[in-house]
Amino acid sequence: MDANEVVECYVTDVAVQLPRRLRNDVAFELRALIGEGLQDRAEAAGRPVDAPMAMEFLQAFGRPEDVAARYRPTLTLIDPADGHAFVRATVIGLLVIWGAGLLLLLQQPVEAGIGSLSAWGQWWTRTVVASLWWPGMLLAGFAGSSWLRMRFPQSAAWKPRPGDRIYGSRAATVLGIIGILCGVYVLIEPRWVIDVLFGGRAAPAAYHVLTYAETFQQRRAPVLYSLLLLNVPLLVAVIVKGRWTPTLRRLEFVLGLATCAAMVWCVLAGPIFIAPITDQFMKFGMLVLTALTVLQYGITMRRRVKPAPKLEGGIG
Amino acid sequence: MTDLEAFGKLELELRRGVVVLATLSQLRAPRYGYELRQALAEQGMPIEEGTLYPLLRRLETQGLLNSEWKIEDGPPRRYYALNADGRKLLKKLTESWRGMNDAMTRLLGED
Repeated sequence: MDANEVVECYVTDVAVQLPRRLRNDVAFELRALIGEGLQDRAEAAGRPVDAPMAMEFLQAFGRPEDVAARYRPTLTLIDPADGHAFVRATVIGLLVIWGAGLLLLLQQPVEAGIGSLSAWGQWWTRTVVASLWWPGMLLAGFAGSSWLRMRFPQSAAWKPRPGDRIYGSRAATVLGIIGILCGVYVLIEPRWVIDVLFGGRAAPAAYHVLTYAETFQQRRAPVLYSLLLLNVPLLVAVIVKGRWTPTLRRLEFVLGLATCAAMVWCVLAGPIFIAPITDQFMKFGMLVLTALTVLQYGITMRRRVKPAPKLEGGIG
Repeated sequence: MTDLEAFGKLELELRRGVVVLATLSQLRAPRYGYELRQALAEQGMPIEEGTLYPLLRRLETQGLLNSEWKIEDGPPRRYYALNADGRKLLKKLTESWRGMNDAMTRLLGED
């Protein structure tokens, strides 16, 4: 390969990545400019242009992909400001999907003739490979958000969060209290719902599946209901104060944790309903609710900012 | 990151900030790419070919430069020169640069 062929190859590699309307014109100009640069270098070196000299010159010029990219405006799919959030959401999402897939795999009975290697293969193809929808969806979401911010910069202007104001209004909080009272009433006697829906003419089996186990009603239910009802005075205090004060937030946190602990206790200490189907459903619901609450507290704790200097070796 | 690497990256960022202004400043009269690069290098502002030549096209696309092919003492060459918008921008950028330069001189003079 002589020097001309090396230059021609480089120019082609750059030009082929450019829009068609620019390609030939840029290629012609680039070849001429590289030729002049090489000629000067050869004169300085006191020898004619050869392939190694051309290679050295073009390597300093830059990779054809980089040079071609510089001919066009920068295309940013994900705003650099979103880079860490994108990676974090991708990794957390993928771990959750893969973990859930693994749990489902472990719950399946090992079928005759299907070894563990085959099971792992299934997990790989059905869960890991299929999970690529998640980063794809995130990419589309982040790119869309980035485009919107560029297109409508005013919409992305920073605004302070409402802080500890009541979400919605006092009226919404009153509705929340009514909701808690209704919810606890239904929990105390779920068969009431059937009476309302069917006018007392439902099949006995329907009442049977919504009948609590005696042990639950005697020991665990009063604790759980009491904790749920404690939300009522808490919300009343919020309405009176007009906002969530730090003390009320702390009380809400403690009450939430106590409720989670009570729900776990309810799940582990024995049956809640006498019918297995409703028992399992209720326990699953309680565990999901507990997990979501703990997750929310974890995120809140992690996102908490307490401005303080990082003092090396303490004060003084 | 070593001190040398950190210096290299930070100096590159400084240079990136002035590449456009330096290029526009040398295009009051028509010049072709290689000639422009030499003119910049002779005045202490060497810019890599792989950066400068695409930049000329981008500035032209942005409507700041005009260009045309000419044949003068050699092969055909594409000559670039500021147009009216480019001259206005050069004036504004020059004022801005002088303001920053004065401020930096004051700041660095405090050492």
